Amino acid sequence: MDFDQKHIRNFSIIAHIDHGKSTLADRILELTETISKREMKDQILDSMDLERERGITIKLNAVTIKYHSLNGEDYLFNLIDTPGHVDFSYEVSRSLAACEGCLLVVDATQGVEAQTLANVYLAIDNDLEILPVINKVDLPSAMPELVKEEIEKRIGISCENACEVSAKTGQGVDKVLEMVVNNIPAPSGDVNAPLQALIFDSFYDSYRGVIVLIRIKNGSVKVGDTIRLMATDKEYLVTEVGIRTPKEIKKDSLSAGEVGYLAAQIKDIKDVFPGETITLSTNPAKEPLAGYKHMNPMVYCGLYPVESKKYADLKDALEKLSLNDASLTFEPETSQALGFGFRCGFLGLLHMEVVEERLEREYGLDLILTAPSVIYRIILTKGEVLELDNPSKLPDLTMVREIQEPYVKASIMTPKEFVGPVMELCQERRGIYIDLEYFDDTRMIIHYELPLSEIIYNFFDKLKSYTKGYASLDYEYSDYKSGNLAKMDILLNGETIDALSTIVHRSTAYGRASVVVRKLKEIIPRQQFEVPIQAAVGGKIIARADIKAVRKDVLAKCYGGDISRKRKLLEKQKEGKKRMKAIGSIEVPQEAFMSVLSIDEEE
Amino acid sequence: MNIKSLYVHIPFCEHICGYCDFTKLLYNEEFASKYVEALILEIKSYNIPKMETIYLGGGTPSVLELGNFSQIVDFLGSYLEKNGEFTVEANVENLTKEKLEVLRKAGVNRLSIGIQTTHDEILKTINRHHTFEDAKKVVALAKEYGFTNINVDLIYGLPGQDEKALKEDLKNILSLDTPHISIYSLSVSKGSKFYNEGIKPLSDEKDAYMYDLIVKTLTKADYIHYEVSNFAKDGYESRHNKTYWKDEEYYGCGLGASGYINGVRYTNTKSLTKYLKGEYKDFEEKLTLNEEIEDFLMLNLRLKEGFKVSTFINRFHFDPLEKFKDVLQKQEKEGLISINDSIKPTEKGLKLLDFLLRELFVLL
Repeated sequence: MDFDQKHIRNFSIIAHIDHGKSTLADRILELTETISKREMKDQILDSMDLERERGITIKLNAVTIKYHSLNGEDYLFNLIDTPGHVDFSYEVSRSLAACEGCLLVVDATQGVEAQTLANVYLAIDNDLEILPVINKVDLPSAMPELVKEEIEKRIGISCENACEVSAKTGQGVDKVLEMVVNNIPAPSGDVNAPLQALIFDSFYDSYRGVIVLIRIKNGSVKVGDTIRLMATDKEYLVTEVGIRTPKEIKKDSLSAGEVGYLAAQIKDIKDVFPGETITLSTNPAKEPLAGYKHMNPMVYCGLYPVESKKYADLKDALEKLSLNDASLTFEPETSQALGFGFRCGFLGLLHMEVVEERLEREYGLDLILTAPSVIYRIILTKGEVLELDNPSKLPDLTMVREIQEPYVKASIMTPKEFVGPVMELCQERRGIYIDLEYFDDTRMIIHYELPLSEIIYNFFDKLKSYTKGYASLDYEYSDYKSGNLAKMDILLNGETIDALSTIVHRSTAYGRASVVVRKLKEIIPRQQFEVPIQAAVGGKIIARADIKAVRKDVLAKCYGGDISRKRKLLEKQKEGKKRMKAIGSIEVPQEAFMSVLSIDEEE
Repeated sequence: MNIKSLYVHIPFCEHICGYCDFTKLLYNEEFASKYVEALILEIKSYNIPKMETIYLGGGTPSVLELGNFSQIVDFLGSYLEKNGEFTVEANVENLTKEKLEVLRKAGVNRLSIGIQTTHDEILKTINRHHTFEDAKKVVALAKEYGFTNINVDLIYGLPGQDEKALKEDLKNILSLDTPHISIYSLSVSKGSKFYNEGIKPLSDEKDAYMYDLIVKTLTKADYIHYEVSNFAKDGYESRHNKTYWKDEEYYGCGLGASGYINGVRYTNTKSLTKYLKGEYKDFEEKLTLNEEIEDFLMLNLRLKEGFKVSTFINRFHFDPLEKFKDVLQKQEKEGLISINDSIKPTEKGLKLLDFLLRELFVLL
C-alpha cells in the first residue's frame, strides 16, 4: 500500500481540556475501521492507565488511519491526539510541528475557553490550516450557532464550513473526515531531496533500543540505511521502520510526508531528543529542520527513593522517562534527611504528579517528593546573582540583599457573577491586578500578575470551587519581582529537616507556620517517644506542636475468629510503614513532605 | 498436625449488645432446633478424635431451650478426653439450675459468664438485661453446682464508665472470687450498634491509664496477667484459648466459626440458609510461610510467657534472634521485651504489641 503525498493528510486535534478530543479520536478510529468494535475501548489513544483513570490526555499519541473518501480515492491520515492541560502545551507544540492542519474542537455548551485560545495561537505559529469542529451538539444546552459566532469573532477563523458533531454518538463525524480530505493540505516535501526527518517523540524498548516517532519532511529512509542524528553526529543502522495503526506495522521504507516509527538499536538514551533531525550518512541534508523551542521547567522538587539502595533504579527510570517526556529535567542532589536523590524540574504541578505516578507505576518505585518550589533569584550583597531551586540551599541572610520570585500573567475566564470571588482569591495569593475585560455578554477575562509560587499549589482547585467549575485559566511567565520573602525551616525533635524547608512571604509566615505544624502532627504517626515539631523563620521559632508518644497500641481481643483479619490489618499497616522515611529515629510518611505547602485548616 | 481443640459456635442471642461484632442472630426456637441438628452434622463430618479442649461459645449458648441445649452439650461431651477442659459461655439471664445440671452431667468443667460491667445503669445503655445483683446470684449458683473454674468477662471504656466506675467494677468483680477474669478495652468495629451510633473508643492516653490501673489492681489480688486481656489465678489459665495464642491448630464448627486445619485457616458462612443446606465454608486460606510466621509472632507475643527460641527454630528452621536482631535489640532496650531462652513481652510490651509486631513484620 504505497501512497503518493497527495493522498496523505497529517493533522492534530486540539482543544480545551474536556471538550472531547479523545472521544472524537475514538470515533474516527471506529468509523474508519482502524479499530474493530470488539477492540474498541474509551480513550483508545491514551495508552497509559493514568490517562484513562483521570480521563485526560498527557502524552501526544500518533496513529495512522486508512480512509476511503467519498471521491472514490484512498487516503492515509496521520492523526496526532494532544493533551489539553496548560502544563502539557509543550507536547501540543511538538505534535503540531509534524502536521499540516488541525481540528479545533470546541464544546458547543461551553464555547471558547482559555486553553482553546492558547492552542489556536500555537497552531497559527506553526502555519497550520485550522478546521473548527463544534462538539457535543446532541446536548440540550448546546448552542452551536453562538459558539461559531464566538470563534469567528474571538479567534478570527471562518466557521462557514465548521462541522457540528457529537463525538459521543458519532453524529457528523463522517463529515469531519471529508473535511480533512478536502481542506487540509497534502504534505509538500521532496521525496528525492536528502532525508530530513523530525523526531517528535521517542520511547524505550528493551529489545529494540530507543524507538523514535518521526515525520519525514524530505527524502526517504529504509531498513539498512545508515542514519545520522544531526545534532550529535552519531550514526546508526536502521533495523526497522513502520507505521502505527495503533498496532505497529513494519514497512520497507518511509517517504516525505509520512509519519511513522524507526528503530536503529540506539542504546544510549541521551543520544536522542525530540526536535532532532535525522538524515542519511551517505547523502546528508545541509541543514537540520527547525527544532523545538526548549521549555524551561517552572516547578522543581526533590525526588528521593524511600529505600536508599534504590537510587540507581531511580536514575535509570528518570533517564528512560525523560526520553518520553522531553520537558522533564533532573540533577543529582543530596539531602541530610533523605539521602541521595534528584532535583527535578517540571512544567507545572500536574506534570509533576504525572511523573511521580509514572515512576511509581511503570518502574515500581516508592518515592518521596519534597514540596514543589519555583526558582528564586537571590541577589547577594556582593552583587552576585544566584538561581535557587531548592529552598534549603538559601545562603545565610546576612549575605542576601534581595530575594526575587517569578511571576506569571494569568488570564482567568469566568462568568461575570464570579468576578468578585475570583478577584478575592487572586488578592489572597498576592496578585497584582492588571485589568478586566468583557469576553462576551456573560463572561469576563480577568488579568492578574501572580507569584508563580502562589498558583502552583491548590490555586486551580480553589478557582474551580469559587466559580462552580466554570472558570478557566491560562498563564504565561512574565518576570521576576522582589518580595519580602524568607525561609521557613521545620524542626523535628530539635533537628532542622532540610527537605521540609520552604520559602514563604513574611506577611503570611505566622499563619502558615501554625497550619503546617498542626498538619504534620496529624500526618506523622506517634513514635515511641514524644516528638516536638517546630517552625522557624530566621532562627526564631514561630509555631510548635507536639506529637505525643504512643501509649497503647494493641488489639484487645484476638481469638480463633480474629486471626486472619488481624494479620491482614497488620500487613497493611506494615506496607504503610515501609513507605515511610526514617529521618533519624522518626518515621515520616511521604505526604508529610508535601504538607508544608498547606495553607488552610480544612485541607 | 495433631489437633486437640474444638470451637463450636451458637449464634443466637436474646438481645443484641451495642459493642458486639460477632456472628449473631436474634433467638428463634424453630431456627435454633434446625441449627443444632445442622451443627451436629458439621461436627460429624470432620471425624474428630477425643479433644483436650472444647469451647462452646457465641452468641449465647445458654439462650437455647433446655432440649436443644442438652442435645448439643451432651453431644460435645462425648468428644472430651479424660482431664480435658470443656468451657461453655453463658449469660447471667438464662443460666438456670436445669442448665447447670445439664452442664455438670455432660462433663463441662469451665464456665465463662459475660458480666461486662457491674453498673446497672451502664448495663441498660449497652442493652444488657441483667443487674449486678443477678450476676452475683448466678456466680454463687454455679459454685453451688460445683463449678470452680469460672471466668467473668468485663469491658472498660464503655460510655459513662469513668475511672471511678472502673475502680468500682474491679472491686465488685474481685468480690465474686472467680479464678479467671477477661477484661477488654472497648473496640468499636464496623457492624456494631455502637459504630452506627458514632460512639468512640477511648483515647490512647485514657486507655493506657485505665489498663495500667486494671493490671495493677488484679495483680495485687494475685491474678497473673498471662495474656493482653486475660488474668488468672495460678493454674487457671484458659487451656483452650492458649491453643490459639500458641498458634496451634483447632477445629471450628458452626455459623461464622473459624478453624485452622492442616495449615489452612477457614471461616464458615454467616448465612443461616447456606449453613442449613450444608454449605459450611465461606473462606479458606492456605498460609504462606511468611503468613505463618506472622501469625506465630502475633499470637505468641500476646502471652506473657512469649515463646521459646527453640520452638521457633524447630518450626521455621531459622534463628529469630538473627533475623529480627535489630528490632529485638532495640525493643529490649526500650523495655518492650526480654530475651533469654524465650522472647517474652514485658507489661509495656503487651501494651505496645501491635507497634512491635509492625516492626518485626517489616523484617520478614
